[in-house]
Amino acid sequence: MSALQAYRHLMRAARVAFDGDARTLTAAYESISRGFRENQNLPANDPTIAPAIAHAEEVASFLRSNVVQGRKEGESYKLRIHQDTERGDNDTIKLGNQSIKIGEEHKCCSA
Amino acid sequence: MFRTAALTAARVARPAVASAVRVAGVARPAGAFVAAVPKVAAFQAVRFYSAGGHLKKEEVFSRIAQVLSGFDKVNDPKNITETAHFANDLGLDSLDTVEVVMAIEEEFSIEIPDKDADQIHSVDKAVEYILSQPDAN
Repeated sequence: MSALQAYRHLMRAARVAFDGDARTLTAAYESISRGFRENQNLPANDPTIAPAIAHAEEVASFLRSNVVQGRKEGESYKLRIHQDTERGDNDTIKLGNQSIKIGEEHKCCSA
Repeated sequence: MFRTAALTAARVARPAVASAVRVAGVARPAGAFVAAVPKVAAFQAVRFYSAGGHLKKEEVFSRIAQVLSGFDKVNDPKNITETAHFANDLGLDSLDTVEVVMAIEEEFSIEIPDKDADQIHSVDKAVEYILSQPDAN
């Protein structure tokens, strides 16, 4: 997994997570870019590179599946849940480290 | 369901609209309405989903050039040519290239898979890729 791919995944994930929220999106882009540029002069065999890339990939998947935008409408918040958002319930939480999305084989409850 | 109906209607209406435009174009005496040209250009600036046909190479290039000229890390806007290489001619590093390719994706409303995106290092490669994508608009 190359750093450039991680960079692209992270940028894409930010675009999914902060869609339509220009201020946050710009801040996310800047922060991602700063993080990568801090390390851009490391030698190719530096041992810190692989963990840094793994970290970037994890952040990307977190942004994609575990961040949901909300807009306050009156008393409640309206959430924008998209197709990559992880959705579990009380049962699936016992399954442990699996990503749960709609449309997948795993149906919960009485289905 | 409404959407499907609307799409069907649009698809049915499209040939009629297209021929109407063509007829209008033919009927206009050559050179009689020079002032009408900007109007036509303004009309084309709005792209309809129903507007079929392929992107023109010149149009793709001019839109990519526009994306690049809005990118503040390009060393000199004069260097944006049809064959410019992102790194060698425009002074962009590999991270900038990723950003440019993503901006191009956004401009043409497509998503370029990683393996293809990694191959795009110059303006002509980008133009070529966009032209090969039927979904690009």
